[in-house]
Order: sequence, then C-alpha cells, then structure tokens
Amino acid sequence: MAALVQTAWLARLPGVGAVIDPVLVLAVATGFLRGAESGAVIGLAGGLLQDLLSGGPLGMHGLSKLVAGFGSGLFERSIYIENPFLPAVAAFAGTLLGEALLNVIGVVTGLGSVSWTEAVPRVVIQAGLNSVIAPPLFRGVRSLDERFERQH
Amino acid sequence: MFDVIIARRRIAVLVGLILFTLALLTSQVRSADRRQVGPLGTAVLTVLLPIQTGMAHVADAGTRWWRLYTEIGRLRQENARLRSEVERLSQDLTVVREQAISARRMERLLEFRPQPGYRTVAARVIARDAERWFSTLLVDRGSRDGVRRNAAVATADGVIGRVIEVTPTAARVLLIGDSRSALSVIVQRSREAGIVEGRGGEMLHLKYLSRTGDVAAGDLVVTSGLGGVFPRGLVVGRIVTINREPGALQLEAEVKSAASVARLEEVVILRERADRGGPGPNRMAGQAAGRRCGD
Repeated sequence: MAALVQTAWLARLPGVGAVIDPVLVLAVATGFLRGAESGAVIGLAGGLLQDLLSGGPLGMHGLSKLVAGFGSGLFERSIYIENPFLPAVAAFAGTLLGEALLNVIGVVTGLGSVSWTEAVPRVVIQAGLNSVIAPPLFRGVRSLDERFERQH
Repeated sequence: MFDVIIARRRIAVLVGLILFTLALLTSQVRSADRRQVGPLGTAVLTVLLPIQTGMAHVADAGTRWWRLYTEIGRLRQENARLRSEVERLSQDLTVVREQAISARRMERLLEFRPQPGYRTVAARVIARDAERWFSTLLVDRGSRDGVRRNAAVATADGVIGRVIEVTPTAARVLLIGDSRSALSVIVQRSREAGIVEGRGGEMLHLKYLSRTGDVAAGDLVVTSGLGGVFPRGLVVGRIVTINREPGALQLEAEVKSAASVARLEEVVILRERADRGGPGPNRMAGQAAGRRCGD
C-alpha cells in the first residue's frame, strides 16, 4: 500500500526531485520495533514492490531498503524507544543510508550514473520529508505490532 | 550463547537476502531493457496495476481540482487588480475628457477676433443668477484685469451681454436676454437699424424697424456700434419671425440669440485699447458676421 501511495501520489508532489518514501520509513520502523530480520524482509518486499510499480530494475530499491531495515534493526532495544524524536532521527538516518546505497548500486551495476552535487541536497531534503512522516508511521506500525501480539 | 545464535541468524538472513537481491539485479543487467519481471512479478503487477491506475486517476482529478482552485484564486486577485485599474483609468479618462472639452471650448473662444481698437480678456463663468427673473453671470475677471463697467462680453458665437458691476477680481455680466437689456443693432444684409431687447430667455425682441425696410426671416442681426457699449459688427442673432401688424408704424421681429448662454463656461470681455480712436464706420462692419451662427 505504501509503495502504491508513493508511486501513484507522493511522486507527484513537488520537492526539488525529492520524493517522500513511506516504504523506507516503514522498513526502518519495523526494524526498530520488530528486529533486524523483520526490517530486512519488510524493506526487501516493499522495495521490490516499488521496483515493480516504478518500472525500474527489480532489486535496486529492494536491496537498499533491505539494508536500511536491517541496519535499523541493529539498534532494536539499544536505545530508548519512547523518545518522541526517535522516529524522525531514525527515518532521517535510514533515508541517508538507503539512498546512498541506492546510488552506489546504480553505479556499480551500471544502471545509472550519479551527480553527487545534485544527489546530496535531494537526499537531505528527502530525509527531512521522511522525518516528518515518520512519527505517525512509527505509531501505526507499533499499534499493528501490538494488535498482532495480542492476537497471537 | 543465545545471543551468538541470534547474531548468526541475523547475519545469515541478511546475507541470504542480499545474495538473492544481487542475483535478481545481475540477472537483469544482462537483459536488453535491464528489467525482467518474471511470472511472479507479472502476477503481482496484474493485481496492483489496476489499483495504481485508479489511484493515479484520483491523483489526476485532485491535481485538476487543485489547479482550478488555485487558478480561481489567481483570477480573483487579477480581477480585483484589473477592477481597481479600470476604476483608476476611468477617473483619469474623466479628467482627460474634461480637459479635452475645456480645450475645445478655449479653441472656440480663441476664434473670436477682437475688433480693432479692442483687446480681449478671457474669463471663466464662476456663477449664474439663481433668480429666473434676471439673467446675469459672474465671471472671474475684474478691474485688476482691466475690466470696466459696460465692457462688451462675447463668445465665439456672438455677443452675450455687458459688464454691469466690477470688483477687483470679478465682474457681473448682464446678458442680452435679460429684460433690462437693450442694444442698438442693424440687419446685416439690408442695414436696417433697430433695437434688440431681452425677453428673459434666448429669444430676443427686435423693435423699431422701418415698416418699409427689407427684412426677412433668417437675416443676421449684428451690433450697430451706436451707444458706445458694443463695438460694431458683433453677431447678436438671427431673425426667426417678423410681426407685420396692420396699421403699425414699425416692424417688429423675434431674434434667436446666436450665443447660447445655457452651458456657457468661458467668455471674452472686450477691453478698449488706451490709444483707440473712435470706431470707424468701415473698420469693424460685419467682421465676425457671416462666419457665426452656422454660416
């Protein structure tokens, strides 16, 4: 759903080339709340869906979000999870990591070239935008997680 | 021990997923369009693409509405700006029109050629008589400008009256239509002499014409120069009707005043030159006549 929303709606919003990426924020949130494996799986699945829907090579977003979700899972329970700024900071850092990986993968596989002078401001803006949507998404993931825990 | 197992499992999952993704990527790098979705991807797309298309339609509609909304706001602002501009330009136009009308009146006034021995003083009408019994005007020139009592007052169309009161800055003009007004005239064509009296309007009464005189409707009536107030040859008006009463010793006629005083705004006041001799009989005759009153 997040991938659909991003490709159908969020990609239309003006933002100096930066697009809000709820899939990445969800992967980071899942990693924080459910662990590295869950973050990696959600990141990979969401990234692949993004690749499918966006028409790009399958695996580019998958790999970058896999690593971002896994990386965020490494900090599971090691930081105070109730901190209200945690989602924003985590989404910011996760976006920087994911986008850096995406660009590296593009260069390594020859699927795209990167102009770092253009990419860096765009990625920073995107990280900022993702930080804004991170708190409600984190809360949503958490409530889903708690509901899942109660049912099982 | 438990932590080590968890850590190893994590690494194994990560490595496995990364290898899977890298394999997926490299398999596509070799393909022509660098994208191979495969049957599973096709199945997923078959389900998701209609949803994505629907969402895109919703987004398109939203974008159109948003553009319409912002366009309406922009148009409102532009409309308000244009309205204020139209208002300002209308005011400017009114001022310019007024100036143009005033300039035309001045041009007409400048057509008035003063008699030899006279100078003209242009004056603006600043007040009219509110009483219907009297026909006078107040003009913004007075003794300071050289205006004297009994000075003739005219427009480009013809004579309109004479000055009866003078202050340093203003003068009162008795119009020829006033019932107190009388001036010596001649019929331009036949040189028949008579007296024109006011009737309180634009129609004047011409008296004391010779019974055998050659007078006809349409004849132009000009000042005779007798009486020392009006110079000779100023247009007074045109004969409209002639009253030939049986047994009467003289003819009488109705004359329509050449100068309309109803919308009068500027006039010229005739000032005698200091070195002026008497008005010669041939000097001024019919100078303005013939080119006034639609001739």
